[in-house]
Amino acid sequence: MAQEMIEANPFAAMQQKLQTMTKVMTTQAPIALTPKEVIWTLNKAKLYRYIPQVPKEQRHPVPLLLVFALMNRPYILDLRPGASFVEFMVKQGYDVYLLDWGAPGIEDKNLKFDDYTLEYMPRAIRKMKAVSGSEEFSLLGWCIGAILTSIYGSLRPDDGLRNLILLTAPLDFSQREQLTFARWTDERYFDIDKLLATFGNMPAEMIDYGAKALKPVENYVSNYLRLWDNIENPQVVESWQAMNTWVTDNIPLAGGVFRQLIVDLYRNDRLMKGELMIRGERVDLGKLRANLLAIIAENDHITPPCQTEPAVARIGSADKEIYRVPGGHIGIMAGSGASKRTWPHLNEWLAQRSK
Amino acid sequence: MGEEQGGKKVDQFRGAREAYMDVWAKAMGEMVNTEAYAQQSGAVLDAYLTASQPFKASLEKAMVNALQQLSMPTRPDFISLAERLTNIEMRLDDSDTKLDRIEHAIQKLAIPASPQPAVPPAPAARAIPAPQTAPAPRVTPRVIPPAKKNARKGHK
Repeated sequence: MAQEMIEANPFAAMQQKLQTMTKVMTTQAPIALTPKEVIWTLNKAKLYRYIPQVPKEQRHPVPLLLVFALMNRPYILDLRPGASFVEFMVKQGYDVYLLDWGAPGIEDKNLKFDDYTLEYMPRAIRKMKAVSGSEEFSLLGWCIGAILTSIYGSLRPDDGLRNLILLTAPLDFSQREQLTFARWTDERYFDIDKLLATFGNMPAEMIDYGAKALKPVENYVSNYLRLWDNIENPQVVESWQAMNTWVTDNIPLAGGVFRQLIVDLYRNDRLMKGELMIRGERVDLGKLRANLLAIIAENDHITPPCQTEPAVARIGSADKEIYRVPGGHIGIMAGSGASKRTWPHLNEWLAQRSK
Repeated sequence: MGEEQGGKKVDQFRGAREAYMDVWAKAMGEMVNTEAYAQQSGAVLDAYLTASQPFKASLEKAMVNALQQLSMPTRPDFISLAERLTNIEMRLDDSDTKLDRIEHAIQKLAIPASPQPAVPPAPAARAIPAPQTAPAPRVTPRVIPPAKKNARKGHK
């Protein structure tokens, strides 16, 4: 009966589409559903262990720790059943751990890369080693998580890090003309002291605006048109809603880290110059010896390929590979093509090195 | 027939719309990547911060004064407390690790004592399965069984 009314009245059809669209845009999708347990906490940080789904004798003996960026929620790695990297890796027989940094409060405004890489990460890794019973481990760092894992791997090369996977890693900041963020945060236009004096941390809303303003039409217009065009396709709607849930769930960035990111990296490229100091130790990428897989998104507008390729050449690992994937910053791991390209290659590479 | 024509029109409209969106997106993408945009957005942010910072600072100061007058804890008090709690958490974490190491060391020390008892165990005792990862508790009663370690793993 309702269907007949809609067919008879195009305005009713339009109204129903609008209602569905409003509902999809204003409600949250069920996300991060792969079973897990918290095995360690420190301040806001939590270390999750995903419940293995493969018998122990069939599992890879080397555990895998996932480290995502500091200013977004890490459940993009476990977005929804059937479209979850975590779920995929657990099914492939990996002992998977996820470090969730949590949302920093004003009391965390002084946290720096120093704290995350030399206080939080070593403790979380220590716990992972104790639980897994393995002295060796693999690390996967994505975006700023890749900066953290690279710093950690360079400063603690003898800590058992066997494999390092860097996803869209912003390590080289020398080609400023290709970096829109570098232009926006140039010291002539952007007063970081005033910003942090006002807010303490970098507010989540400003980070969100910055990321979306890089591609304003795609993020503010095309994204919603795509939903409108596909509102009657449940698969597209479900996928859109899950991604929208993640995109709108932003968290602030600790002031100390934001200052280092802008001053030390974007403005002065200190990591590549070998001038980055973490707790008095110089970060030398040449000291990083773990097997390395660097995955580059060819259409990445946030971390263009020029930010990763030269850094890989600088890293001291004997076994290293660059894998280029068509797609954007997030799409290569959470997009529709991820399960066909990125995940299988990553699994194949890691499986050979996790025996 | 009419439906087919309607469908074609929708497709044509979408095609034109996509073409327009591509042009618009390219133009906007180039625009935000200019020095002028960086300068302008910096100026807008600076104006906002200049206007809001003194107001925010004076409001915070007034709030601290008011709470102190009422003998209530202030935000700096909570921040200081949070920092102390994090330090305590770190010390607990270190202690936890030390306990783990001690536990492992005890287990390693206990291993050589268990494999070959001088007298064969009684038939009833032989029927009890030995734990897989730890030595038999009969030989070294002070060994912490593995179940206790697992219980500590799951603190949430």
